[in-house]
Amino acid sequence: MTAQDTALDLSEASSIKWRRYGVIIGRVLLIGLLFVLWKLGADAVGPIYVADPIKVIQRIITDTQSGLLLKHIYATLRISTIGFAIGCAFGIALPFVLRLVPRITAAVEPYIMASVGIPKYALIPLFILYFGIDDAPKLWLVGLLVFYPIFIAVFAGIRNVDRRLINMARIVGASESRIAREVIWYSLTPFFFAALKISLPRAVSAAIIGEFLVGNEGIGYFIENSRQSFDTVGAFAGILVATALVLVLNSVLDKIDHRVNAWRPKERSMEI
Amino acid sequence: MSGQPLLEVRGLDKRFAGRSGRDTALWVIKDLSFSVPDGEFLTIIGPSGSGKTTLLNMIAQIDVANGGEVRFQSKSAPINDPKSLNPGLNCQIGYVTQEDNLLPWRTTLQNVLFPLEVQGRLDAEGRARADMLMRTVGLAGFEGHYPHELSGGMRKRASLIRTLVYDPPVILMDEPFGALDAQTRAQLQEDLLRLWNLGRKTIVFVTHDITEAIALGDRTLVLSRAPAKIVGDHPITIPRPRDIRGIMTHPDFAALYQRIREQVQ
Repeated sequence: MTAQDTALDLSEASSIKWRRYGVIIGRVLLIGLLFVLWKLGADAVGPIYVADPIKVIQRIITDTQSGLLLKHIYATLRISTIGFAIGCAFGIALPFVLRLVPRITAAVEPYIMASVGIPKYALIPLFILYFGIDDAPKLWLVGLLVFYPIFIAVFAGIRNVDRRLINMARIVGASESRIAREVIWYSLTPFFFAALKISLPRAVSAAIIGEFLVGNEGIGYFIENSRQSFDTVGAFAGILVATALVLVLNSVLDKIDHRVNAWRPKERSMEI
Repeated sequence: MSGQPLLEVRGLDKRFAGRSGRDTALWVIKDLSFSVPDGEFLTIIGPSGSGKTTLLNMIAQIDVANGGEVRFQSKSAPINDPKSLNPGLNCQIGYVTQEDNLLPWRTTLQNVLFPLEVQGRLDAEGRARADMLMRTVGLAGFEGHYPHELSGGMRKRASLIRTLVYDPPVILMDEPFGALDAQTRAQLQEDLLRLWNLGRKTIVFVTHDITEAIALGDRTLVLSRAPAKIVGDHPITIPRPRDIRGIMTHPDFAALYQRIREQVQ
């Protein structure tokens, strides 16, 4: 490598660095701009419809200190994570079971795919009718909403597993359960994580919608209760907290994704 | 190299169904027979499309035959029914395929150890053996790399020693060095012969390169175009150890090459 090449490399590296800083600065500016727009909007429309952002933040702080918000966050988190886990478990297990019975799969596949089209939220009244007004109807809603993306991803993922890898594993003496765990499962983790990223916000949304209708705790309850008492600041605070909750859960998921899928070649174009 | 052959192919038939029901089935292999004595390095050469891969797939039992049988250690292996296929015949038949088929989520070493792991034989001895093989083929220092971080030649080496590590008595190889540049290929051929010399496995090596067939084999079979049958059987008299890169200059080479080339259409 000549001195010139080195110089070129260095200038390239520093330009990449600056581009990265530029992106971060741009993001911060954008947040600031949104905040200003929000404030201006609130002043223009009036506090009944759009809450003042400063008041919203003050409310979040006081309600967090009093423990009220934490109680509701915990309730929403509980429903969404349990429902999420149930939906995931079935979404993963069912395709693996169906894999063992190809004929039955061929028979039921169109019905499963048709059932994707059922608007799940439309089922809430039935869930309340069947399961009462405790956690159960909310868990059903969250579970169903999570189940479908996971099921479809895993189902398609299993179909797309490279036959040659399975043959290789068979030849070197791997049992079928070993193949399921060592070859098929890893082959579909990229699909699976893509589906998780769709399902996680859905799980929280579904929990919140459940809380609008049933029970007296959770962020959904907090938002709806605020609205009913004309407390727009409270409603906005709830929405902001719900958004933050989804973002935090997503970043946890991203971390797990990076660890689990560390083997995948990094796409350079995806890094700025 | 005497007594019963280790591996025998008898009257093997294979056809592929036509594209639509009305098309007649295409016979890829018809009434193919040959046998391989224990410890022989057999090379099989044939034009592309002559069913070489199909033949190995049937011997490895990942594909069904439409007739005939494959016998291993004088026992017939059931290969006419997809349900009774026994891929790899209880780890007795290793298969190095055209693609390396490394598991992309496993590091190089984990890939090499994969067979031992799934066979429940991963012990200190197995690890030492994997270590030795990694060093022999120049993969030392790349244990922790993922397949996509290796060059094509290194991936080939990894897939080769993944089969050698569990020591199957027969190893099938399907143009394993086909996609490599001449230099890497010669290197890998040398590696392969060195490894073969350590254990003298029985190898069935399929290629479409006449020079490679001569350089590596104890004997070379020539397959015809589909439906494949054997049109030539040539003992390779060039003594071992052989100089792979200089094999063309051996006095026996030209005549052998000429005779085989005439049969490969």
